[in-house]
Amino acid sequence: MFHWESTPLTGISFLGMVIGAVVVLGIALAVVTYAIYFERKFIGWMQLRIGPNRVGPLGLFQSFADILKLLIKEDVIPDKADRIMFLLAPVIAFVPSFMVLAVIPFSSTHVFTAGLNVGVLYYLAISAITILGVVLGGWASNNKYSLIGGMRSAAQMISYEIPLGLSIVGVVLLSGSLNMNVIVAHQAKMWFIIPQIIGFVVFIIAGLAELNRTPFDLPEAESELVAGYHTEYSGFRFAFFMLTEYVYAFALAALATTLFLGGWSGPFLPSWLWFVIKTAAVIFFLFWVRATMPRMRGDQLMSFAWKVLIPVALFNLLLTGGLYLL
Amino acid sequence: MAELRSEEMVLNVGPQHPSTHGVFRLVVTLDGEQIVDADPVVGYLHRGTEKLAEDLQYTQIIPYTDRLDYLSSMLNNYALVHTIEYAMDLEVPARAEYLRVIVMELNRVASHLVFTGTYLLDLGAMSPFLYAFMERETIVELFNEICGARLTYNYMRVGGVKWDAPNGWLQKVRDFVLHMREKMRMYHNLISGNEIFLNRVKGIGVITQEDAINFAMSGINLRSTGINWDLRKNVPYGIYDQFDFNVIVAEHGDCLDRYWIHMKEIEESLKIVEQALDKISEGPVLGKVPKMIRVPAGEYYRGIEGSRGELGVYIVSDGKDKPYRLKLRRPSFVNLQILKKLLIGQNMANMIAILGAVDIVLGEVDG
Amino acid sequence: MFGILKGLGVTISQLPKKKITLQYPEERPKWPERFRGVHEYIPDLCIVCYQCARICPTDCISLTGYRDENKKMRIETYDINFEICILCDLCCEVCPTEAIRMTDQFELASYTRDGIYKDMAWLYENHKEHGSFKQMQAAKEQAALAADAVASSMHADADKGASD
Repeated sequence: MFHWESTPLTGISFLGMVIGAVVVLGIALAVVTYAIYFERKFIGWMQLRIGPNRVGPLGLFQSFADILKLLIKEDVIPDKADRIMFLLAPVIAFVPSFMVLAVIPFSSTHVFTAGLNVGVLYYLAISAITILGVVLGGWASNNKYSLIGGMRSAAQMISYEIPLGLSIVGVVLLSGSLNMNVIVAHQAKMWFIIPQIIGFVVFIIAGLAELNRTPFDLPEAESELVAGYHTEYSGFRFAFFMLTEYVYAFALAALATTLFLGGWSGPFLPSWLWFVIKTAAVIFFLFWVRATMPRMRGDQLMSFAWKVLIPVALFNLLLTGGLYLL
Repeated sequence: MAELRSEEMVLNVGPQHPSTHGVFRLVVTLDGEQIVDADPVVGYLHRGTEKLAEDLQYTQIIPYTDRLDYLSSMLNNYALVHTIEYAMDLEVPARAEYLRVIVMELNRVASHLVFTGTYLLDLGAMSPFLYAFMERETIVELFNEICGARLTYNYMRVGGVKWDAPNGWLQKVRDFVLHMREKMRMYHNLISGNEIFLNRVKGIGVITQEDAINFAMSGINLRSTGINWDLRKNVPYGIYDQFDFNVIVAEHGDCLDRYWIHMKEIEESLKIVEQALDKISEGPVLGKVPKMIRVPAGEYYRGIEGSRGELGVYIVSDGKDKPYRLKLRRPSFVNLQILKKLLIGQNMANMIAILGAVDIVLGEVDG
Repeated sequence: MFGILKGLGVTISQLPKKKITLQYPEERPKWPERFRGVHEYIPDLCIVCYQCARICPTDCISLTGYRDENKKMRIETYDINFEICILCDLCCEVCPTEAIRMTDQFELASYTRDGIYKDMAWLYENHKEHGSFKQMQAAKEQAALAADAVASSMHADADKGASD
């Protein structure tokens, strides 16, 4: 329908692109709002208590209340902080998280998806820019704790990028393309999770570490000593960092769905509904892990990435390559 | 740009901090990530119990002892009441003794459940905290039925206990014991095998036997090093010599051993409660006690096995109805002294795990 | 690896269970009979023996009395300072006439400090609203009915005896 790459750029098509981007932004924000709500509800149910249920019917407006609270807070900028960098860091952290949503196929009609031929590579590369925002936030706060926290967080995220990438290469081998739409099309017969089960496990673990979620949430830990890179941020700037994390959670779940669980394909139901169901299942798994696991220590985290995950991912790659040749 | 300074950083943990189990302050000197010096500062919860006791009659001191180690109030009550009975040579009726044992061991279970929940919460796992408190809620409701309060029971009196058990209470205790035994399996499934947890606590914070004896440690911290010392078996008080239970001793002295001993002690306490439920007989619950309780002149000390160590009460009396001096030997305060030795040289990330495993309650540390 | 999987199994198995949240303040907890809440006071039963004031560990009870025409002690003022009351129940234990008792009220928050210093009127109101007033009335009526029954049966016997 929208073959924008083959027609010259007109005002109408530009307007169409902007509207499309706004719609996707709206969807992403709505997903984030209700992801936060459902996280609190699900973890509450697993702990034998009801989650939020006072604000609005069944507590559905809880996230809006939280966001409103953050918006009306005083915007505190530390005196000795590097002002420009301080203001820029949340933006640098958030923008890539929204940009990666461009390549994910939400439905079979490809309305909002860019059919990039290097889709997977685009995802990995853009998501790495967030690390810059994190380090910048830690540095610009002029706070020794934030700096240490930011450094730790950056080290963690960089170390886990490698297993993440390696686990995806297996899928790329099997489908022969970096284009997300082609990968989904190749899963029409069998979802890639079955031949790539090791890759899937590595992907999920590395993804948890990328998202700074339990059990890898040392940078955000409330009960550990050194607070994270977002200590000095208050009000809406803090909300930006949180928003980044949850949009990434959505983006990672969407990526997992696309690469391993067959994307939007499925019988009977409309394709976008299948996508929603599969993404929701992955996000639910992330909540489940958060409710159960304790936190890993900093040095154990790093040694786990380098000494365990990367060899396993490499082994998976060898296996896939070997079987593919046969 | 200023030159790079590599000095030691002084960090203040607390007094308001989610993991210090109360208002506890730890001044830590860091060199990079290594702890060079750790200085505990206590006294933020000091309420002057011992000084207040000099102006109160013995029965009036009992509500104050509730608030020392507020997680195991019954044991605190018993320590004071037992010392007075020992000093005055009073007889306690059999039913009162059995009721005392039942509530004390149930309180020990409740206290160990709080340890499990909060220790894992410090390490980052959210769910065991809520499950532990669900079991504890049942125990606290039982105590609510027998004495009217949920945390500060004021249940023991000199010469017995205040109330007899209401109808059906003993049966409820029995049901709880069976229910709790099943639940222990769930806790072990959830926590004890978890590799992340094991990596965090194994081999951390090792106390040697020599250190344990030199620092006068007692209770679970002592038994984790391999020394078999439990006051319920070695210096039996009350009717504890009639019960058949094991003393759990571990070998390595690290945080994992302390966790295991806590879990196993819950099961042993349940055994004691069951035996007491079988043996309890009918009768009065308060013995013959003079109207005005006067401890004869002299010095008396008795120690009992509290849930954190040896809880002792030392009374110096000059024959009046108020003590001349009441000194409480509080186990958390004594156990805390080893923190400095354990923390120096450690990685900062292990600090929370070590502090949590020493298991202090600030009400007891400060008194 | 398997320890983690077992742990995941435990958490997911708690999902279908009944939730234990109490929707306070719409639902109130149900307290047992012996619950130690805020006091109630019945001035008619009090004999002004000062035992409660003497036993209180924090000295929060203060009372004054007077001697009336029949040389009996009557209570004039009775105050409990709930800022320092620790709800330990020792006062109720020593009262010889059960004039002071504890109810199951536990909500005592107030906007001012004066609001926590309760006097006799408030404690008596507490008795009527949340305390054992209804029980005592019911017991009195029962006793009155029983006395009536006994009296009427005695009358009946007397009539019978008279008619014999």
